[in-house]
Amino acid sequence: MDQLPSVAVTRPAGAAGRLNLRAWSKLTPLARREARQGLLYIAPWLLGFFAFTAIPMVATLALTFVNLTLAQREPLAFVGLDNYVRLAADDRVWHSLSVTLRFSALWLPISIIVPFAIAVGLNSRHVRGAPLFRSLFFLPYVVPFVAGVLVWEQTLGDNGWINDVLRLVGVEKPPSWLFDSTWIYPALVMMGVWGIGAGIVINLAGLRAIPTELYEASRIDGAGAWAQLRHITIPMMSPILFFTLILGVVEVLQYFLVPLVLKNGTGEPAGATLFYNLNLYRTFFTYQELSYGATMAWLLFALTLAITLVLFALSRRYVYYAGAR
Amino acid sequence: MNQRLARAIAPLAVLALVVTACGPSASSSPSTTATGGPETQAPPATFAPASLRWYCCLGTGEDPSQVPTEEEVAAGFGELHPGSELKIEIVTYDAARNTLSTQIAGGNAPDIVGPAGVGGLAAFEGQWLDLAPYIQSTSYDLSEFDPGAVDFYKTDEGQIGIPFAVYPSMVWYKKDLFAEAGLNEPPHGYDAKYTMADGTEVEWDYDTVREIAMKLTVDEAGKDATEAGFDPEKIVQYGFEPQRDDLRGLGAYWGAGSLVSSDGSAKIPEPWKAAWRFFYDGMWKDHFIMTGPVFESEEFSGGGYAFFSGRVAMSENFLWTTYGVADAGTDWDLAAIPAYNGTITSPLNADTFAILKDSKSPDAAFAALTYLMDDASETLLNLYGGMPARPAKQDAFFEQLGQSDGFPAEVDWQVAKDSVAYADNPNFEAPMPKYNETLDILGTYLSKWTTTPGLDLDAEFDALEAEIQAAWNS
Repeated sequence: MDQLPSVAVTRPAGAAGRLNLRAWSKLTPLARREARQGLLYIAPWLLGFFAFTAIPMVATLALTFVNLTLAQREPLAFVGLDNYVRLAADDRVWHSLSVTLRFSALWLPISIIVPFAIAVGLNSRHVRGAPLFRSLFFLPYVVPFVAGVLVWEQTLGDNGWINDVLRLVGVEKPPSWLFDSTWIYPALVMMGVWGIGAGIVINLAGLRAIPTELYEASRIDGAGAWAQLRHITIPMMSPILFFTLILGVVEVLQYFLVPLVLKNGTGEPAGATLFYNLNLYRTFFTYQELSYGATMAWLLFALTLAITLVLFALSRRYVYYAGAR
Repeated sequence: MNQRLARAIAPLAVLALVVTACGPSASSSPSTTATGGPETQAPPATFAPASLRWYCCLGTGEDPSQVPTEEEVAAGFGELHPGSELKIEIVTYDAARNTLSTQIAGGNAPDIVGPAGVGGLAAFEGQWLDLAPYIQSTSYDLSEFDPGAVDFYKTDEGQIGIPFAVYPSMVWYKKDLFAEAGLNEPPHGYDAKYTMADGTEVEWDYDTVREIAMKLTVDEAGKDATEAGFDPEKIVQYGFEPQRDDLRGLGAYWGAGSLVSSDGSAKIPEPWKAAWRFFYDGMWKDHFIMTGPVFESEEFSGGGYAFFSGRVAMSENFLWTTYGVADAGTDWDLAAIPAYNGTITSPLNADTFAILKDSKSPDAAFAALTYLMDDASETLLNLYGGMPARPAKQDAFFEQLGQSDGFPAEVDWQVAKDSVAYADNPNFEAPMPKYNETLDILGTYLSKWTTTPGLDLDAEFDALEAEIQAAWNS
């Protein structure tokens, strides 16, 4: 069995990415047969990967260098970097990017801190009925998000119950959550927080994996709750927090469903919900500009990749892997 | 490299975009008692049997109460032409353009699209089949139509449609609210003046509308918008509601025009600017028009149009308003569109059916199209509240429309007939560069104006014009 993974997996670091044909030729017939079987088993995934991910990605890259539109009134032609030049000068693109980044600045810290804080609370031995709370927090996550958004639309309406409560407590002019280009972002955050059940569960799993000996030893050393949180919980949870950060960045850059459902994809109020991915969707499907839409998709991809790489580079400083060698 | 190659690439492009960018990681009852089914026998088929797809709704037709009749009509084609079938696909108006784009890009285009408005056709400019050869080869009779109406569908692509339904605009008003305010009802005739409460006669124009609309706007305490102590935060009844679906349409009630100037650049027609200013001041200064949040609220949304809520005294809208106007009560009537600078303009909506160039069975599709336009036309026109484009059928149409459930006994349908003479030309939905993108820009400004008080409108108009021009330049 040791020989089997040596074909493609166990390789010297310098040979990474190259198929080791010499190793293949040294395999026994049995090992080769097993290797072939292994490849056969993953073939469906490979086929799916190439058909639905790799080839379409390459195709979109190729599209960025032509002038493909749905109506195609002009002959299809190679246009070089024209689409990229247009992208750089497109105010709407930069506006949608700015909308996305502004919302990210608001949402990302909340999406990481709130589930973590709730998970810490639920993990505390002082909390009674933690399983019940865990279920309650997770419950919204299993509600179809579109249905959730529609419920929130009513809740946050000018005469929704949130504003009714605000009026009851003396706020004469409560915010117009869904129609004001400033208040719409807090409204979107509220909807997001409603659905953080999965984040709580992930954080809880991470917290449960922290050895209790660490806390016991620190308690003996006189550490209080805050010191334990700062010096044990957060460092030990840093891989989980980093994981949720990466997922959060990818998700927020692709933020799409809520503005599409809530505002029918119009970007209302006044363009405040014209998120980048929504703009991309409209460019592609509404404006029918296939090549330009593909160019926008590649900008999004490049941006996501760049941010992720930077975060990974920084993670070496801030993320502690207890099991790392 | 050609169009065929482009179309071959398109499905892959759709798939690619979906995978790379949008991936998972991350009311009212119909106004008539129409029945479905064909009314006459079709001529023997001169086309190969085909399975056809009828795509709805780039115009009207999505209301759940309309669907059974539409399905019945679709089935009627198969009964007339054994071996062929016509299947209807209902996509709501809001999603219809994007879905059709996706289908065309994916090489899965339907055969027939309709009812499609002028804007719906313009949004897919370049993708419609020229019907002229089929009209000629089948000797389809166009003499029943006004020649101008036939020419309405002549574009660079050819004859892309045949006149089917028209929807002129009128003022819809609530008689009871006028009576409550002690005001006279607006004039029905296009040459009539308005009689103020004190008996003086004035021009029926937008100044008059503003004046009486403020009196018809009432707050919780019963004060109208002209009285001291009126609370604009607690309005329970509004005086006026313009047709706010599209800024172009909103402007067209003040004068026909186009965003495309004579030299091809983007320019907002002056009457449209005046209309938009009236709209903006009406919301934020004079308070007789709803702001965006109020318009969207449950109390006033009326299931789509504020007049349906019964809390709006006057509203400008198209004839298709009949689909939900029964909700407004039983004491509404129709009045003439007011004048602006002495000119009256009644924007027109028109629906037709068109065939996509990508149809695999254009002969059969044309047969199905003529079936919808002829055999099934009465059923569909009643269903959609569309005035027949065939002048000879209009009187019968209004007679039947007047008998709709929940309608007042006496509605002055003559106003609708008269309004056609004041139709906007050019039509506000006429093609323009970057059609869908320009519509979105207009929508963004409309949203901004309806949600933001204190704007400098001149600066807004300049910015809008510049943004449209920039989109066209790209």
